[in-house]
Amino acid sequence: MVPEATVADRETAVRCTAVSRSFGHTKAVVDVDLSVRRGEIHALVGANGAGKSTLLGMLSGRIAPSDGDLQIFGRKLQGGRPRESRAASIAIVYQELTIVPLLSAAANVFLGEELGHGGAIEERRMQRRFAELCREFEVEIDGTTVAGELTVATQQLLEIMRAVQRQTKLLLLDEPTASLSHRERDFLLGLMRRLRDDGVTIIFVSHNLDEVIAVSDTVTVMRNARKIETAPVGRWTKSDLVEAMTGEAPARVSRERRAPRGEVVLEASDVSLPGALVDISLDVRAGEVLGLAGLVGSGRTSLLRSLAGLEPASSGTLKIRGKDRPWPRSPRQALRKLDIALLPEDRKGQGLVLGMSVPDNVTMTDLGTVSRGGLVNDRAQLAKARALMEPFRLNRKVDRYPVSELSGGGQQKVVLAKYLNQNPSVMLVDEPTRGIDVAAKVEVLNAVREFAQRGKAVILTSSEIEEVLDVSDRILVIVAGRVGGEFEMDSESPGVRDVLDLAFELDDPTAPVTSRSAEES
Amino acid sequence: MTNGTSTETIPVGPTPAADERRLDAVRVAQNYGIYAVLVVIVIVATIVYSGFLSPDNIKLVLSQNAPLGIVAVGMTLVIIGGGFDLSVGAIFAVSGTAAAMIATHHGAAEGFVVGVALGLVCGLINAIVITRFRVNPFVATLGSSSLFSGVIMLISNSNPFFVEKTSFTWLGQTKLLGVQLPTILLGIVFLLGWLVLNRSVYGRRVLAVGGNPEASRLAGVRTDLVQGGTYVISGLLAAFAGAISASQLSVGQGTAGGTMALQSIAVVVIGGTSLLGGEGSMTRTAVGLLILATLDNIFFSLAVDTNWQLISQGIIVIGAVALDQLFRRMRTK
Repeated sequence: MVPEATVADRETAVRCTAVSRSFGHTKAVVDVDLSVRRGEIHALVGANGAGKSTLLGMLSGRIAPSDGDLQIFGRKLQGGRPRESRAASIAIVYQELTIVPLLSAAANVFLGEELGHGGAIEERRMQRRFAELCREFEVEIDGTTVAGELTVATQQLLEIMRAVQRQTKLLLLDEPTASLSHRERDFLLGLMRRLRDDGVTIIFVSHNLDEVIAVSDTVTVMRNARKIETAPVGRWTKSDLVEAMTGEAPARVSRERRAPRGEVVLEASDVSLPGALVDISLDVRAGEVLGLAGLVGSGRTSLLRSLAGLEPASSGTLKIRGKDRPWPRSPRQALRKLDIALLPEDRKGQGLVLGMSVPDNVTMTDLGTVSRGGLVNDRAQLAKARALMEPFRLNRKVDRYPVSELSGGGQQKVVLAKYLNQNPSVMLVDEPTRGIDVAAKVEVLNAVREFAQRGKAVILTSSEIEEVLDVSDRILVIVAGRVGGEFEMDSESPGVRDVLDLAFELDDPTAPVTSRSAEES
Repeated sequence: MTNGTSTETIPVGPTPAADERRLDAVRVAQNYGIYAVLVVIVIVATIVYSGFLSPDNIKLVLSQNAPLGIVAVGMTLVIIGGGFDLSVGAIFAVSGTAAAMIATHHGAAEGFVVGVALGLVCGLINAIVITRFRVNPFVATLGSSSLFSGVIMLISNSNPFFVEKTSFTWLGQTKLLGVQLPTILLGIVFLLGWLVLNRSVYGRRVLAVGGNPEASRLAGVRTDLVQGGTYVISGLLAAFAGAISASQLSVGQGTAGGTMALQSIAVVVIGGTSLLGGEGSMTRTAVGLLILATLDNIFFSLAVDTNWQLISQGIIVIGAVALDQLFRRMRTK
């Protein structure tokens, strides 16, 4: 009996027994039992607010459990103390990266564990060790570059290097691929496998079920703060997972395939932005959702930002409803003069005031309608906010709690409601579903389509190509700052593969610049 | 895949910039502009005041500004660590007055030791209030400044203490190889400050905590100790400067150091250290000190109303920060 237990302990990396955590009245994790084998990649999946991130946070020592028992490699973890978890060889890479942007790449890798002698930094030794790590990871990064100037993918790599450098035995990754391009994603998945083969246990949270199935050994599904099931990956299919996550069969974006016949609302030609966009031309009709597909860094976001007046260096000619209009130079000008609004990519930084309540956020742009004589009428404001949030099934009643208490999906719904309330004639939507769950995604995309059906023009982009295919009437594939191809969704039905083929076409710098034919035909 | 290279590397290195050359120009202006400003001011100084570059004048300027410089070294660390210390002037006065009081009755050496030790205690109080009780540094040191001043005024009965003993004036008035001792001490403090910031693990952590406190905490850095440490160092250096100044002037009084906080912050800011924390350097602070000291000397030599000096100082501080912000915006565009 006793030896058996020790064998089991030796093979178990993580054992959670009846772990719970509440924040105020919200129960984030309830009574979770979880065991993770040593040296496996264990995926945690679930809808937003299912409790995955909280569970990960408890293992990382950032959050203390309210109840229950955490054991890591047979050692009990008090929880709530990052240093304790570090001592237990646990490292975590958060979705929001914890990079010190002004320090060098190498300094970030050794943050908190600087190589030194008697309090003096040994810069050269750190650079050498950093170069070794780069070789191990098969990447080339200059260790002296300031970390803030590196791409998000590289910054994330620095964090993983930090973990490896610390001889981490348990690596926790919170949505590691959410902001990566396909190529970067494949690289990261390969790296995860390599680390696992070196004996590192990895627990990761992801919304991308394809990559969950591709990379993990075991999958645990959570729903409503509870664990639903843990099983080896071979026992799951994608639709099983979705069903377990949502408790229902997967929903789709509802739509009919017919070409919108509305007037052309926005026509932009020769849109250029030094270093990002080269002579892009596009138009969008009333009632139409125009999708922009492309790799990260292809210029999708720059294009939206240029149209929204956020890129003063951009240039182009603009027609609104057939009339020549000046090129937008500021977001205020785009909004007030041209009636173009941008739903920003970064909901926490740009879309919401996290500490303010849902009503305050949703009615921020038109407080005038709920106030009299300069004073806000609380009741009118709350009623208006409830009406605006009505189409979105929020898992909490709209009231005066801070938006930060909502899950990522809930927050995104609030941002969307706020922008829809502005009622612009052209809505630009950048990454509306980043980091939110399947059910919330469908609701968000449906809301975007309904908005278009009210006779509005919508331009949407997302790094999830399936999503762009699902929601758009027409798709432009953006490749290295140009239009690489176009699909009419009423007559064609391209798959992800077709879009990717186009997107990668110009990726090879030696290839001749071709195929703007799709655009011209 | 479509890429010809064998190993799949993800794109790394600096993000592609639209106009590298323009960016480089901005970077050069941001990094070296302050040196150009110093050169211009020195040239102006030599024009309006022919004796400016004479060795005696330079020595005088340096030793007069040594206390300010020593305080600014501590302030640089505090600001890089993401904090702010308004209490340096009060600590400066506490130390100088205590040293002079004790020196009148007992030995001068005991006076200096007690003065500097009091600075350490004051710094520790700041550190605890800020990192334990999480009081905003601005408010905490504004409050503690008033507290320290009040206590020393009470104890000294608001009297100045004149000490003519050479054992007391030694610290501020001796010369070593023709250079005033305060100047030498200033050099040593700057060197130590530079070593701590650029070559020590502690300095690296001050930069990290100032740059991103949450990231540092999650990486296992004891952010409270690191930040608290900057206030202790700042208190210690302010007290040391107060003792030197009292010895230079042969008097210790509670009203000393009234402009020390703002002046030392001005020195740091003119040098280009960001008030947001996470970046800055001792060399920049040194340049900031030289700029203010030169200005001071120009106005002194011209014998104009000292209020003009205040006005020009104010303009330079605001100008330096505005320019720095402009460069920053140009770099991120």
